[in-house]
Amino acid sequence: MTIFEIVKAVTSGEKTAEEITRYYLAQIKEKNPSINAFVEVFEKDALAQAKAIDAKKARGEKLGVLAGVPVGIKDNILYEGHKATCCSKMLANYTAAYTSTVVEKLLAADAVIIGRTNMDEFAMGSSNQTSVLGVVHNPVDLERVPGGSSGGSAAAVAAGMVPAALGTDTGGSVRQPAGFCGIVGVKPGYGRISRYGVIAFASSADQVGVLAANVADASLVMEVIAGKDAHDSTSIDSPVPHYTQQFTKDLKGVKVGLPKGFLDGLNPTIKKQTELAAQKLQELGAELVEVDVPLAKYSAPCYYIITSAEASSNLGRYDGIRYGYSDQTAKDLKSYYEASRAPFGLEVKKRIIIGTYALTSERYEECFLKAMKVRELIREDFKKAFSKVDVILTPTSPTTAFKIGEKDENPLSLYLADLYTCQGNIGGLAGISVPFGKDEKGLPIGVQFYGPILEEEKILNAAYHLEKASK
Amino acid sequence: MITKQDVELAGKLARMTVSEQEAGIYEGQLRALFGWVNDLKAINTEDVKLTNVTLAAHTRQDKAVTDEQAAAKLRAMFAQELNDQAKVKKVL
Repeated sequence: MTIFEIVKAVTSGEKTAEEITRYYLAQIKEKNPSINAFVEVFEKDALAQAKAIDAKKARGEKLGVLAGVPVGIKDNILYEGHKATCCSKMLANYTAAYTSTVVEKLLAADAVIIGRTNMDEFAMGSSNQTSVLGVVHNPVDLERVPGGSSGGSAAAVAAGMVPAALGTDTGGSVRQPAGFCGIVGVKPGYGRISRYGVIAFASSADQVGVLAANVADASLVMEVIAGKDAHDSTSIDSPVPHYTQQFTKDLKGVKVGLPKGFLDGLNPTIKKQTELAAQKLQELGAELVEVDVPLAKYSAPCYYIITSAEASSNLGRYDGIRYGYSDQTAKDLKSYYEASRAPFGLEVKKRIIIGTYALTSERYEECFLKAMKVRELIREDFKKAFSKVDVILTPTSPTTAFKIGEKDENPLSLYLADLYTCQGNIGGLAGISVPFGKDEKGLPIGVQFYGPILEEEKILNAAYHLEKASK
Repeated sequence: MITKQDVELAGKLARMTVSEQEAGIYEGQLRALFGWVNDLKAINTEDVKLTNVTLAAHTRQDKAVTDEQAAAKLRAMFAQELNDQAKVKKVL
């Protein structure tokens, strides 16, 4: 069922929220053992919420726009009284002391929070293989990764265990797994959604995003969770449109930018699909315009320096005193800190080391400051491009889902998985991945639309039409 | 060129123990990554001024938000208070 169908069924009384919740709980019970998308299911709480929604309806009260819709939340999003571990040993025993704004908004809209989903440790990874709670298997092919870091959320939606899930996207962690699993993943522009109650990785790039089976469903959830929040000073005070009411009849008058050189050297199947997507958009009435974003190719090195530097600072709080594992056997403060920070996994430690190194007085100017300045130029490039076009079309990822363990020998090749998506976080852009065809192995291919901050409706509309046309 | 000593120093600054084996693994990976970062040197950034990267167009009031309820709720989570401060368990 789509989210719209669930809401209609619950509000009309055709089905109860409890029936819907029990259906999805059964799906999780059946499918999760082979996929490992959920790390915890809130069965008791979810059923209590569903019953409360049914009671509300019985009293004749108006139900929220997500009435009875079960939603999974990534394991770095706080929900009071529930564990939030970032799939790390460091936070293995952490229980959220308060609820994130996004979850508050979902609950206020009568959604049902059904469980927390697997992820790369502290959201650092593109394959969901760095989770201490085990790798997630792609429902399309269980031998392959679902992408990451919101791999659990993507796999849960793709397997039909839940109609929507929240993820976070710092370099593509919503869009890339959506592409790998054949679903829709949307990351709004920076500031559109509150980060209050989201465990920080890199504060200037982190954004909450939505994973759903189709564009309309993702748009509806986005509409609910977007907006200014007094608890997050980086959230933007600007009215949130009814995204689902912004879908136009066709794409006449819409200018779609095709960045010069973006497809050079790309996997031929993905290149062909992206070209086909452009052709399809043209058939739908859009005008294709070549745009130049020459410095966007430097996004990945900028991304790894800036986000690692921010991570080294953000993760400094896990010292056993302020947060995280506390080693009680240490004899002095130095060994206490070292022992208490030992639970970080290899990838997290590596990013902290990269960030710390880039911030040393010897390297600060040539690494961190340089990356920050290049980021400014990349943002300017996109700004210029968006003065000519409404949206920009790119592939979501340079490859389709790869086999579990395939890239273990060369971890840096994993960083290339974010090549097209991290541009959006460096530029603070809105981005969406929508499925468009499959490769020769039957694996889903995603294409991505970029749009300016606060103009999410443009990318949602373009993706909506492409999705409709590809069915 | 990044060396094993650089990795160990960064680990020390980050208050983490980096084993000999880990330093060996990271050294090669960081060398490759920072080789990539070296590509940035080719870009002229002389006149670039840093702004708030993503919020430049959306200025906001920089004021503290006081939420008495939230503060009370957080204080209630601590087992004990002493002189208007939360008392926490001794770590050493």
